[in-house]
Amino acid sequence: MRIGMIFISISLIVGALFTLMGASYALAGWLESLELFAGAGHLGAILVQMLVMVMVTATLLTLAERKWSALMQDRVGPNRARLPIPGLKDNPLAGLPHIATDVLKMLTKEAFRPKAASKFLFNLGPILAFAPVFALFAIVPAGPTVEVMGKQVMMVAANPDFGLLFLFAIASLAVYGTSLAGWASNNKFGLLGGVRASSQMVSYEVALGLSLVGMMLAFSTVKLAGPTGMTALQAPYLWSFNLLGLDVGIPRWGIFLQPLGFLLFFAAAFAETKRAPFDTPEGESEIVGYFIEYSGMQFGMFMISEFVEVVVLSGVLAAIFFGGYYLPFGNEALMGLPVMKAHPWLLGATLGTVFWLKVILLCYLQLAIRWTFPRFRYDQIQTLGWKILLPLGLANLFISGALVLWDPSLHSLALFGFVVLGVIVFLTLTPSRQVRLAKQAEEVHGGHGHGDDHSLPANTH
Amino acid sequence: MSAEQVLFWVFAVATVVAAGGVILARNPIACAMSLVATFFFLAGIYVLLWAHTIAAVQVLVYAGAIMVLFLFVLMLMSLSDQGPVMTFSAWRIAGVVAVVTVLAALVLVFRRLPAQESLAWSGDAARLGDFGTIKHLGAVMYTQWLFPFEAVSLLLLVAIVGAVVVAKARV
Repeated sequence: MRIGMIFISISLIVGALFTLMGASYALAGWLESLELFAGAGHLGAILVQMLVMVMVTATLLTLAERKWSALMQDRVGPNRARLPIPGLKDNPLAGLPHIATDVLKMLTKEAFRPKAASKFLFNLGPILAFAPVFALFAIVPAGPTVEVMGKQVMMVAANPDFGLLFLFAIASLAVYGTSLAGWASNNKFGLLGGVRASSQMVSYEVALGLSLVGMMLAFSTVKLAGPTGMTALQAPYLWSFNLLGLDVGIPRWGIFLQPLGFLLFFAAAFAETKRAPFDTPEGESEIVGYFIEYSGMQFGMFMISEFVEVVVLSGVLAAIFFGGYYLPFGNEALMGLPVMKAHPWLLGATLGTVFWLKVILLCYLQLAIRWTFPRFRYDQIQTLGWKILLPLGLANLFISGALVLWDPSLHSLALFGFVVLGVIVFLTLTPSRQVRLAKQAEEVHGGHGHGDDHSLPANTH
Repeated sequence: MSAEQVLFWVFAVATVVAAGGVILARNPIACAMSLVATFFFLAGIYVLLWAHTIAAVQVLVYAGAIMVLFLFVLMLMSLSDQGPVMTFSAWRIAGVVAVVTVLAALVLVFRRLPAQESLAWSGDAARLGDFGTIKHLGAVMYTQWLFPFEAVSLLLLVAIVGAVVVAKARV
């Protein structure tokens, strides 16, 4: 029963993604064939991707966060809002009505502004917090460029020559929203939150940029989309063999070539999203944060920008480290299918679904991290950024650079990557020093004759 | 007017207005935000000059990093909206005269610049080749201008060491 439900849910999600991506390609091809103006189809594709895919995923994440946090904390979770439909009256519908009630509440609440707040900057804060985060998705390719109705349709808003520099430039602008919001509210807690946010984001930007240089070196490009972009270059295999007509192998994904780079980028980007464990700018239990004076939809902008950031970060991670819209293997077999050759939009929709599934999995990973770790102290955040991530990023840069120079086929880089992955897994599985010391203390304690203590876990002492 | 000219006037007027905001706004935070806007619109003008990479770096370094630090310091100083009252002293008047002279000299020089055909690059993508791309910029920076580039990085190192020395005495 339970397994059946899970299968039905997963196939519903996959079906919805496939339908949306197929509709996106069809709409773009149709608009292009109308020949209204140059780039009409492209505009349609962008609008569907940004306004439907990104925004709907972000909106659903607000509910997902509440559900998953409840699951992890052994609570029931959101189940109060019910729809007054006769047959469904007593069904919480997995909390789905809560999305509607949240939106209604935010839209109808008074947008209050403190008297002493600086009016223009106070209103500018939420806008500047939301816009850069949303704009980041512009360079992330959500699907391949295929021919629909005789027209080329691409699933990326822009593919500038400076690719990842756009990402860094726009991501660095997001800090203005939070710091301005904190300052303009004329509230001491808000100011503290704003100052914390700006110092944290400035510190982690250095590690953020440095961690991706390894990938730029490996593929000698900074572009994400297009035939010379990182996504397309990750599809070929490092090692492969043919299994019953299906090509199987290890692709040149960033996670295999640059596991350390992935870890550093993920940590730094996670700090930029200001979510737990890096949520000192908010710190609900101590200072409430930079949005303390905001209410109604202005607060809603801050909240939704956080979730949009989660989606966009997942998209960027998928495009740089997880092969973008490509399958791990079997791409050639898929593209060789007669039905895919006859209907290229079908190929686009399939690969687009693969991309969005990766995004959803990475979103889940981010939510799981957010509800697993306690908040770091302010000095721990700065130590992690400057004394751990930055030196590791520099070391990673030099080693990757040397390996790419020594072996341009990237095989040795991948072997080194597997070693690093092994070390990371080993470090994750070995208990930390505190746990080992606690265990030792317990054994010494137990030696004195309190034999019952052995059955208790170490952390109860 | 071509689309390029329209964009130029949009960016040029916005740059001047935002730059005016930097010196005219009373609130120091508003001044800093005006400077951010100035950098942003200036990046737009760089794009019109086919220097896309420089435009991205401009936003990344000036608008995204340096101005954030400015804003950080301004927020910590908690300055009031009421700036200093305008006073006139001999130095101020001398300064105004100097600024006007420099401006007049610049206007004169720019008016006498010949209208070179070779500079009219707009719309001639074939002749541009890879000008302004990250590849071209990197090649030029690491071959032709290697020495100035390294000298500037040495200067930055000196500045960092100096900052640490100054700050360390108080920690």
